[in-house]
Amino acid sequence: MTESPIQKIRLMGLLLLVLLVFLLDLSMGTLKIPVSEIVKVFFSPKTANPTWHFIIAQIRLPKACAAVLAGCALSVGGLQMQTLFRNPLADPAILGITAGAGLGVAAVMLTGGSMATLYAIKELGVSGSWLIIAAACLSAGAVMLLVLTLSRQLKDNVLMLIIGIMIGSITLALTSIWQYFSDPEQVKEYLLWTFGSLGGVTGAQLSILSGVVAAGLIVAFLSSKMLDALLLGEHYARSMGLTTRRARVIIICSTSLLAGSITAFCGPIGFIGIAVPHIARTIFNTASHRILIPACCLIGTILLLLCDIVAQLPGSQSVLPINIITSLVGSPVVIVLLLRRKNLNSW
Amino acid sequence: MSKISRLLSSFFVVIITLLPILGCHQRVGSKEPGTPAPGELRPDRSIVKYAHGFTIDYFDHYKEVKILNRSGGRMDTLDYLLVPQGMAVPAGHPTAQVISTPVQSLIVMSSMHVAQSDFVGVADRIIGLGNGHYVNSTIVREGIQSGKIKLVGMDANLNNEQVITLHPGVLMTMSNPESAFGQYKTLINAGIPVLPNAEWLETTPLGRAEWVKLVGVLTDREAFVNKKFDSVEQAYRKIAALGSGAAVKPSVIIGMPFKGTWYTPAGESYMAQFLRDAGADYHWSDTKGTGSLALTFESVAPIALTADYWLNVGYADSKNDILSKDPRYSTFHAFQTGAIYNYNRRVNDLGSNDYWESGAVNPQQVLADIIRILHPGLLPADSLYYYKQIK
Amino acid sequence: MASDQVLLRTSGLQTGYHSGGKRIVVSGELPELELQPGRLVCLLGPNGSGKSTLLRTLAGLQPALNGTIDVPGVESHKPAELARKISLVLTDRVRGNNLTVQSLIELGRYPYTGWLGVLDEADKAAVEWAIGAAGIGALRDRKAHTLSDGESQKMMLARALAQDTPILMLDEPTAHLDLPSRIKLMRLLHRLAGQTRKAILLSTHELDLALQVADTVWLLEAGGRLHQGAPEDLVLNGVFEAAFAEEDIVFNKEAGVFVIHAAPGKPVLLTGVGISFFWTERALRRAGFTVAATTGATPVLYHIRITDHPTHTSWLLDNEGVSREYHSIAELLQAIR
Repeated sequence: MTESPIQKIRLMGLLLLVLLVFLLDLSMGTLKIPVSEIVKVFFSPKTANPTWHFIIAQIRLPKACAAVLAGCALSVGGLQMQTLFRNPLADPAILGITAGAGLGVAAVMLTGGSMATLYAIKELGVSGSWLIIAAACLSAGAVMLLVLTLSRQLKDNVLMLIIGIMIGSITLALTSIWQYFSDPEQVKEYLLWTFGSLGGVTGAQLSILSGVVAAGLIVAFLSSKMLDALLLGEHYARSMGLTTRRARVIIICSTSLLAGSITAFCGPIGFIGIAVPHIARTIFNTASHRILIPACCLIGTILLLLCDIVAQLPGSQSVLPINIITSLVGSPVVIVLLLRRKNLNSW
Repeated sequence: MSKISRLLSSFFVVIITLLPILGCHQRVGSKEPGTPAPGELRPDRSIVKYAHGFTIDYFDHYKEVKILNRSGGRMDTLDYLLVPQGMAVPAGHPTAQVISTPVQSLIVMSSMHVAQSDFVGVADRIIGLGNGHYVNSTIVREGIQSGKIKLVGMDANLNNEQVITLHPGVLMTMSNPESAFGQYKTLINAGIPVLPNAEWLETTPLGRAEWVKLVGVLTDREAFVNKKFDSVEQAYRKIAALGSGAAVKPSVIIGMPFKGTWYTPAGESYMAQFLRDAGADYHWSDTKGTGSLALTFESVAPIALTADYWLNVGYADSKNDILSKDPRYSTFHAFQTGAIYNYNRRVNDLGSNDYWESGAVNPQQVLADIIRILHPGLLPADSLYYYKQIK
Repeated sequence: MASDQVLLRTSGLQTGYHSGGKRIVVSGELPELELQPGRLVCLLGPNGSGKSTLLRTLAGLQPALNGTIDVPGVESHKPAELARKISLVLTDRVRGNNLTVQSLIELGRYPYTGWLGVLDEADKAAVEWAIGAAGIGALRDRKAHTLSDGESQKMMLARALAQDTPILMLDEPTAHLDLPSRIKLMRLLHRLAGQTRKAILLSTHELDLALQVADTVWLLEAGGRLHQGAPEDLVLNGVFEAAFAEEDIVFNKEAGVFVIHAAPGKPVLLTGVGISFFWTERALRRAGFTVAATTGATPVLYHIRITDHPTHTSWLLDNEGVSREYHSIAELLQAIR
């Protein structure tokens, strides 16, 4: 597939939009901070008001960066899943990776019940938010290995979908049991985690997350050709030279990396994975992954930054959980898109 | 007179005659209100001064306790008749539960109940506990070890059969009087009185502590409790006067955020009262609400960056702990000067924090700690009891 | 004839699959099969004979149970290598993508494009040729899912042609097409084999068309044996008939068709020549009569005489001395039923 110049123009346009919305996100918050102040923070930090500098550089900037990372990772993950399973409703959580991450977090927050256990874990040197992240990564990784092992047995992708859903159910059941036997504070803490949060990723965490997401995105982009071939189904893809088993492994690994890492650091964030690939296909009117992957990154970033702005309820003292906003924004988008399409074949 | 009017007038006469007799039978004895007339102190009767959650009324041969519930604007009252062993239950209280006094055995749910029993000197009467995770009292821990105290579960996991077998004089629960009280129907029908001891809903430190008088009333130890509580009250008021009268009020931030939301006590909560009595400058002291405010990191940050002291930092035990939650805390002024204090000095090997147990009934000690932190030298030098500096 | 290189050769091939730990053999006694350039091979056989399994095994989509498939120039059976030798048109429904016809055909260049799949000049030229050869130039900017079955089939063929392989295999390509499309497709494939020197293998139920275009027929019997040869040879030596033999189903070697109404009917004497004779006989057979060519021993019910006039044809019916004339077969049949 060849790109026409108009696609490049569209990409450029979206890039500009990303910068605009990024700046907008930085200027929104509980405190009113003038845009000139924001500029000062970046270009002449010493002259800026220290409180405002702290808020912009240490609170809003990391949050906006997390939004960029999550927007890219989740939408590209969703695109890959929709292509691999040739299913317009697929999202990165479909393999059960996200549920697996939640299981690890629940294990730490709920069953690590008594203070004694928590103190004991601290002896290992891991504490605080790192403990949660490590637990989420470990359990997401375990689920990924399970899925990969099972995928070797299965010829049909549809069966893998079912397995992903079943894994999701199992983790939900286990988590529910643990919640049933836990104290109210622990349950509330876990519940808050499930609402998702972009603001909790800072410093070293942000660097690590950036690295992991970048790796996942690069692998995904390099898989563009493979993904294009898979559009025709596994038999045709194989006849054109694709080693379908290996392709499946690579795609599952990169999606797990993208979705698992975001869930571990930011909690589960839904809807971006389903909605953004559809928006990208509508705007760019192509099926070529070479274009769609960068397009999804840009559109996902814009969408998540906008959701973050809405979640701020600018000017108020509280903030709404990001997961709720993405669902509220994402659902109507998907509905409108699907109504515009004539039938399922044209998605 | 016509037949009807004759009938009516005789009916009228009969009613008038009977009225006093009926009136008499409504009460077994004359009611004596809880508040005594000035100069008439009865050391064996407890007067509720600070707590809003319960009232005690004394009658000739029995006591009546009402647990009030103010949640959701509704006034819901649970009624209890405390009747001495062997005496007849007074009539006219169809919905009241009857407790036989003095209560000899208790099953309690929270560590605060344990603390109250300890305060009143009846910790040895506890025969059952919700769960064994959060206990500091030595007597109770020994009781669990020796098997004298059974673990009966909490809330939905409460083992009804076990409780009925143990047949305590009273079961003290933690739940809000409004919520899910129906789950205790089985126990009430089995003759076990269930009493929600909701001291954690009080909005002042003394009000919270005053719930010891409830345990005193149940066990007929009012004289002892009154004396002990009076000394707590006096000590508290004395140092509160010192604290709130301090010339310089340092600024304070409370708590730690979770995932971007900072929960900090609202203006009408007991923690805010502690801070006022300790002479602290708490930015949210004038806000409404008795619980916590859910604020964004951003709205707290301007205060947090320059606050003099940082108290109640969750489970953190060291500066490293705090940094591992979020490296941005290092820019807080209080972090840099080392002015961080947490109430986890008295955490035992089970991981249970005594601040939540004996701390609830010793508000004067908690206040003293806070004043010693905020105003060094204002009180005679002594080590901190519940608080410790975080290094 | 130029020396026939062999593009694909099998030896001792057995097809089948594994199911629940058991080995299920579909075709166990296959002879040595060969595909040569410029030849069109049709794989025929009744349902259940194993045509699809054989085709998929040869295409590399399914492993063989036994034996070897040798494609000169290919070391291993890795998909990437096979892709330059064999291209496929399958019965798989390709739906649920947003591709234009042009983009889909361009996917056929997969084995030759770089790591991102960008097409160079050679690729673009191959795509153009494929579009022309399949005759779908007018549809190139349409979305793939908006095409009719016939157009879609041409598109998939164009994609396979773009893959530019010496061997092209098609699985039931005429399956959902109407008659004119079927004829056109078979004609196109025959022409392509000759023009491009590709070896084309296709499986089909379309016996009539296959017999006309195939250079070689592989006839799979229900029992598993495979007969190969020129289609006419297989007809003449009775193999064809035997393969499809069932009660009441007869292959008429003269006409080259399967006869629907084989049972003998009431005897009629028919005189006439040419097309009129041929089609009148067919109509009579459908109505339950059998035609005796000359007056023989068997008594006949009717004698029908066909006369071809310049402007029309008439049928003269003789029934025990009474003669009536009719001007259409329908009227004639009406009279004698």
